[in-house]
Amino acid sequence: MATLKQYREQYISRNVQFVVIDLDGRVLESDRVFLAINPGDFIYDVHPFFASYASILETKEGSVTYNGVHLGVAGQNFITDVGMINKGNHILLVINDLTEHYTSLQKIAQARNESIINSELVVLKNLELEERERFKNTFIRNFSHELRNPLTSIVSITNLLEKSQLDREQSQMVDFLKESNAHLKLLLEDIMSISMIASGKLILRHKVFNLISLLELIAFTYGSKTKGTPIRFDLDYDRRIPEYIEGDRIRIFQILTNLLDNALKFTEEGSIALKVSLNQKRANKVSLRFEVSDTGIGIPLEKTKAIFESFTQLEEEGKKEGAGLGLSIVKGLLGLMGSEVYVRSELGKGSSFYFDVTLTYALDLASKPLKKNKKELLDLRKPKSNKKYRVLLVEDDERTQMVLFKTLMDTDMFYIDLVNDGALVLETVINNPYDVILMDVDLPNVPGDQITRLIRDFPFKDIKKIPIIGVTANVFEEDMDAYLKMGMNAVVTKPFDFNELLEAIVKSLR
Amino acid sequence: MILGHFGVGKTSLIRRFVENSFSDKYQVTIGVHISKKVVEVGPEESVSLIIWDLEGTDEVQMIRQAYLLGTHGVVFVFDISRPSTFQDLNRDLRIVADKMPETPLVVVGNKKDLAIEDELQILLDDNDIKADYLTSAKTGDDVNEMFTHLAMLLNGHS
Repeated sequence: MATLKQYREQYISRNVQFVVIDLDGRVLESDRVFLAINPGDFIYDVHPFFASYASILETKEGSVTYNGVHLGVAGQNFITDVGMINKGNHILLVINDLTEHYTSLQKIAQARNESIINSELVVLKNLELEERERFKNTFIRNFSHELRNPLTSIVSITNLLEKSQLDREQSQMVDFLKESNAHLKLLLEDIMSISMIASGKLILRHKVFNLISLLELIAFTYGSKTKGTPIRFDLDYDRRIPEYIEGDRIRIFQILTNLLDNALKFTEEGSIALKVSLNQKRANKVSLRFEVSDTGIGIPLEKTKAIFESFTQLEEEGKKEGAGLGLSIVKGLLGLMGSEVYVRSELGKGSSFYFDVTLTYALDLASKPLKKNKKELLDLRKPKSNKKYRVLLVEDDERTQMVLFKTLMDTDMFYIDLVNDGALVLETVINNPYDVILMDVDLPNVPGDQITRLIRDFPFKDIKKIPIIGVTANVFEEDMDAYLKMGMNAVVTKPFDFNELLEAIVKSLR
Repeated sequence: MILGHFGVGKTSLIRRFVENSFSDKYQVTIGVHISKKVVEVGPEESVSLIIWDLEGTDEVQMIRQAYLLGTHGVVFVFDISRPSTFQDLNRDLRIVADKMPETPLVVVGNKKDLAIEDELQILLDDNDIKADYLTSAKTGDDVNEMFTHLAMLLNGHS
């Protein structure tokens, strides 16, 4: 058996080197266990670290230990603890080789520091991205807002131009101009929607509304859009879905029309269809599946993710009209509703976009029969008398004219006059007594909000006080506030909810 | 003596200065690396810099006292791309000054290659930081200048 002294030899002495130097730094003795230090060397020439021996002479204690000193001597590297002890006329250096110990510490510290630095960088990166995103969205929002005014002027002037004496070629050019205007307007609205969603400025407004009539409105709109084309539009909904649900009607409409417009854009012939099915009903919650399918060109599998990103289409060759914002709006809006849109597609066969939303429905309303007589609904709101009211409808869009005409006539409550040009409104109002005006905002020549201001500033009481209900496709909160400020009594947004519109009219008549 | 939080590029600055090389790979320093370089500070006048590259710390307060013995000058380095390394810079500098009064101190913002100049100045102003040098060990920008400046300070000092 080895003696303890031998063990000490074996396990400690091999790692500890003793060096004695004089006060000038000359090596007097070295046991050369691992460092090539020889008598006669100047210790500071062995390694620059040892120049620190001089400071030992300045300390009161007469000794100091340096931990973790990296020493590379004669091509060999060690990590050591070095003790320096002032022995009066010489200095003793005790050099302890702890390379293994420090190397393992290094690994731990490496992992720790790296992870701290990385998480710091991730936080910074996110902050930077958020900041950039915010800046981008604010910029886009303000910028597109600013663009709307000049665009309104362009639209007005184009309309004036259209009415002037034009030869065939000029009139073709004006048609092209009108088309471009409409496209630009759509784009701006889309960009504003996108930036509102991205910057968190778009807030859903939940209200009870009639889902079935919304679907019928969509069927009417797309039925007429596809009339005379080789495309058929089909609406199919489960009869068990509640008629009245609570949700943001405008946004649901926007999602569905964006999907349908997208389907129309990529379908040459065949059909596009909207299908609404019931997933489940529980308590007062209902989960619905909306599906828009087409027999269009289809989407390659690898692109099914990219189509939901903003401006995707801009990168494509042979692009169709539109910047490809529609689907990205759909994705954003559904995100706000806690849902997600999915796509199934087969190249050359067609695509199908679908999503599920859970909405609240009022139990008492839900118990009503699915199809309710409009007249019955009306009676609830209709003033007692059987008097008919005179309505001035100021609207230039033919399709909207048609919808409004039909719905208002159906009630048998109104006489309706129509004006389709902002410049003609005042004259009409002065010459005819109206009980209420339904005023579109985007009108040729003079916008509806400005006409409202003019009417409110009119010197005659009976004209000045005519109730005015704004009807607009501008669904941004700030727009609505602006219209009310201009003097409108209420603002109803397109697509109209029949009841909402009627309620606004009836309220203004009281 | 080179001080500062971990990962600010102390070792890289020295490597750039002494060996004129650079590696993007972060390698944690444990303990202390000591290197030496002779710097010309004037005609026929040079200073031998023995540079102690100390392991980075979370807290300046934690620097081992022994390391500070015989220190003639201090370079305090922060990383302009990581706020955690300069958020308390002025406090850190006070601690260093308390530990080593009358020792010349050079304050260095490293990794300037990662920032845009104008933004960097705003960042420094916002944090009330006065750096003597803004360096990049990666490009070598102002590294020699900084060490030479220190050498000249020490020369005047000694």
